[in-house]
Amino acid sequence: MKQLRTALLLLSCSIIPISCADVRAWERGYLARDEMTWDPDPLESALNDHIFFSKEASSGGNSAAGGGCGCN
Amino acid sequence: MQLAAHATLKNSDSANIIALSSTALALPGIALADAPPTQSTASYKLSNYQEDDLSRSEVPSGELNRYDIDVHQFQLVAPMGRNMSVHVDANYESLSGASPWFTSVGLDGKPVVNLSGASGISDSRSELSVGTRYYLDNGSFAGNIGYSEENDYRAVYFGLNGERHYNDDLTTLAGGFSYSSDDIFPTDAALFNRVRDEDKRSSSVFVSLTQIINQVSSFQTALSFTEQSGFLSDPYKLRDVRPEDKTQIAWSNSYRRFFVAANAALHVNYRFYHDDFGINSHTSDVSWHQNLGRQFQIVPQLRYYSQSAADFFTNVDDFLNPLSEYQSSDYRLSAFGAISGGFSLIADMGSWKATLTAERYLANDKYSAYDISQPSTALVKYNRLSLGVDFSF
Repeated sequence: MKQLRTALLLLSCSIIPISCADVRAWERGYLARDEMTWDPDPLESALNDHIFFSKEASSGGNSAAGGGCGCN
Repeated sequence: MQLAAHATLKNSDSANIIALSSTALALPGIALADAPPTQSTASYKLSNYQEDDLSRSEVPSGELNRYDIDVHQFQLVAPMGRNMSVHVDANYESLSGASPWFTSVGLDGKPVVNLSGASGISDSRSELSVGTRYYLDNGSFAGNIGYSEENDYRAVYFGLNGERHYNDDLTTLAGGFSYSSDDIFPTDAALFNRVRDEDKRSSSVFVSLTQIINQVSSFQTALSFTEQSGFLSDPYKLRDVRPEDKTQIAWSNSYRRFFVAANAALHVNYRFYHDDFGINSHTSDVSWHQNLGRQFQIVPQLRYYSQSAADFFTNVDDFLNPLSEYQSSDYRLSAFGAISGGFSLIADMGSWKATLTAERYLANDKYSAYDISQPSTALVKYNRLSLGVDFSF
C-alpha cells in the first residue's frame, strides 16, 4: 500500500510542472472554497457540455458520457 | 452542492475558523463531493440560446432563421442517512427553427446550404436521471440511471463511478463507466425516404488523477475513451453516410488557483480530443471567479475551440457518389474554430443563490488552428442567456 501511495505521488507530481507541497488538512481552507471546486455550478457545466456536444464534434474528458441525444 | 460548512468558510474572515473548519471536515482531494451533503439543495436553471440567422449568400432560397432553444434544468441533491446522498436531475428542452438539409454550389461557385423545414421544425426533449452516492472514509462510489426522449430519439443509459483518496488526501484517483442504448426513428420517414428505425450504442470509461499542489492550487488530469457503434449518420440530411463505429479519446487537464490578495480563483482547462473519423481538436477555457464582498461574485470567462475535418467531410454534397462511400456535409465535421466569451453574476444570500449568465459564441473557419481545404458554410453563432436559482434547506 505504501508503494502504491509513493507511486501515485511520484506519478502525479511528475506530470505537474510544479512541485507538490505537503499540505496539511487544516491548511486547505482556500482549496475548500466553493469557487475552487472543479465544478462550481453543475447545471451550468451540464448545459455547456450539452450545447457544445450539439455544435461541435468533440466530447468527453473528465467523466464518462451520459445518454445521447438527437442533436448530434 | 453547497455545504453549510462551506458557507461558513466563505463568510468568515477568520483564518483560524477556516483552519478549524477545514480540520473538522478533513477535506480530501476536492475532486468531487467528498462528504455527504448536510442539507438538501434544489436547483433550477432556465436558459435560452438563439442561433443567428443565416445570410442570403449562404442560403439560396427559403427561410434564414435557425434554432431557437429553451432549456429548463432541475436538480435535487439530498442526504440519505449518514453515508449516502441521492441525486435527481430533470431536463426539458424545446426548439424550433430550420437545420441544414444538403449543400450545393451557389451562383458564385461557393458552397451554399439548403435548409429543411422552411416553415420551421419543432421538437422537444425530456430527460430524467436518478443517482446515488455512497461515501466511505477515503472515497466514494456512485451510480445513476437515466432516460431521455424526443419526438424522434430515445436514450436509456446508466453510469458507475468511484474515487479514492491517497497520500493524506492530497491525491485522488477516480474512474467510471457509462453505457447508453439509443433508438432513432425519424419523423416523416416514408415521405422523405429516411431510415425508419435505427439504433446506436455508446460505451465510455474514464480515469482521472487529482493532486493538491499547495495551499492555494490543485491540478487534475483525466483520460476518457468512448466507443460508439450503430447508426451514426444524420437521418435528416439528404446525403449523409458515416462509418458505423467510432472511437473517441479525450485527455483533459484542469488547474485551479486561489489568489488570496485578490480574493479570487482562476480556473484553467485544456482538452485534446481525437477520434477515428479523423477529427482532432483543442479546447481551452479560462475563467476568473472574483468575489465582491461576501454575497456577490462575477465570473468572466473565455473559451477557444478548434477542430480538424473528418476524413469524409465535403462542403458540397456529391449525389453521384455510391452509398457505400462515406460522405457528410455536416458543418460539425468540418475544420473550424470557435471563440466564446461571457460572464456570470452570482448573488449568494445564504440559503438562496441566484446566477445570471450571458454568453456569445462565434464559429468561423478563420479561427481554425488547422488547415482548411474545404471551408464549411453555415457555421453557427449564438447568444445564450441563463438564470439559475439554488435553494438549500
